[in-house]
Amino acid sequence: MATLNLQHIDKIYDNNVQAVFDFNLDVKDGELIVLVGPSGCGKSTTLRMVAGLEDISNGKLMLDGRDITQTPAKDRDMAMVFQSYALYHHMTIYENMAFSLTLRKENPNVIHKKVLAAAEILNLTTQLNKKPGQLSGGQQQRVAMGRSIVRNPKVFLFDEPLSNLDAKLRSSTRREILLLHKRLQATMLYVTHDQTEALTLADRIVCMSMGHVQQVGTPLELYDTPANVFVASFIGLPPMNFYDVKVSGNELLGNGFKLTLTPEEKATLAGYEGKDITLGVRPENIVEGGDFKVTVSNNENLGMNTLVYGSIDGIGVKVTAKLKGWKNYKVGDTASFSFVRKHFFDKETTNAIRGGK
Amino acid sequence: MNEEKLIKRDRMRFIKNKSSANLAYLAILLNVFYFVSVYQSDVETYYYKILIGASIIYNLIFMLAAFLSSEGVKNYQKSYSYLEALIGVVQFVRIFILPVPYHNIIIGDSGARVMENGQFMFCIVCLIASGVCLILSAVINFIKCNELEAHIKSLEAQKA
Repeated sequence: MATLNLQHIDKIYDNNVQAVFDFNLDVKDGELIVLVGPSGCGKSTTLRMVAGLEDISNGKLMLDGRDITQTPAKDRDMAMVFQSYALYHHMTIYENMAFSLTLRKENPNVIHKKVLAAAEILNLTTQLNKKPGQLSGGQQQRVAMGRSIVRNPKVFLFDEPLSNLDAKLRSSTRREILLLHKRLQATMLYVTHDQTEALTLADRIVCMSMGHVQQVGTPLELYDTPANVFVASFIGLPPMNFYDVKVSGNELLGNGFKLTLTPEEKATLAGYEGKDITLGVRPENIVEGGDFKVTVSNNENLGMNTLVYGSIDGIGVKVTAKLKGWKNYKVGDTASFSFVRKHFFDKETTNAIRGGK
Repeated sequence: MNEEKLIKRDRMRFIKNKSSANLAYLAILLNVFYFVSVYQSDVETYYYKILIGASIIYNLIFMLAAFLSSEGVKNYQKSYSYLEALIGVVQFVRIFILPVPYHNIIIGDSGARVMENGQFMFCIVCLIASGVCLILSAVINFIKCNELEAHIKSLEAQKA
């Protein structure tokens, strides 16, 4: 397959709006990279630049060490799967999958072999004589993927391919994409705004905001050691709780609560004595019993877990906790919680505070 | 059977029979050329008015039947081969219903014919070509249908 290098890539539109700032990424052979971020963060623009559908304003794009910055889209040997499937509705599934190869005037027998092989991979063999309108959304998206597979491209590009599907179908199609990646061992770039897709699919995630790369890392790195407040708030569902606190000796002083620091935490915050910082706590890192009292405002049972929303007694600071098991808090009940894992962020830069800094 | 032939046959499961369908479309087009040409002859007799009226009705029936057949053979339906063959043969018969009588009738003492040589030749060429296209389409479809049936049977046998 292929390696892909994006070096200092910018995208500046004619009206001087800059959509992407200094994007750098090395995609290894066979790696599945997910670009994730909120709408308008520049992830689709980046993907379209890689595909050749948008010009690159500054920087270089290298495929297998070859500069393809100015190469037209048709000569890049990349296949793109769109959110809207982009299937030809007057053609059968077989014809849709064979279309790009037919345009290249490949031998019909070779096309036939490739289409059948792709259909086998995607479990579409029995659907080949149908028209796209007769298939479900998930099946149509599989056809769109099949159309890419038959081309045997160096890089697969996915632009929010699951966004048009309902939740159940999205989950099953996501698993199929993952199986497809494992089977083909292909280099893939995948754009989504859905963090679940990002966390479940990616070898590495690129988290973007406002055209800037916020963090590049494995799903676990982004979840466990977010680089800044944005990444911490974007990755994880429900989102992380944030509190303004002051470091004072062995304690963190918040608005209406006080937390004792462990020796490790104290070492991490060594340079922040007397300073204001942001404390981040994931809802799943909150457990019952302990440091502070919360007045419950909502209790949502999800089966395995219960989401408890509330505010710290008397001061109204919001808390969201994801507790294990089935809980039956009522509105107005008082619960006592404690934090088992804390994240610290510099208040000015919003970057994560790591040990010794 | 070698692999190439086998794949070619297997492709028929997913590729429509375009050659037969296109021949049927061509037959319709040639028939249009024929009837546009034949109606240029205008002889004020009851006999020709009746015949031309009937010809118009048959042309409509022909085009409908040929178009239905083109769709049928496109999807490898063997029964439409018989219909195509029938309307193909009728195209030959039609040569003797309008063009030949028109060509043989001389108007008054002028020596002029209802249908002059050029127009007569054009009409019969159109009808013959149209008939040949339909019969060819029917034969191709018939052969392909048999091949496809045999192939599907062998696939089912393999599965079993």
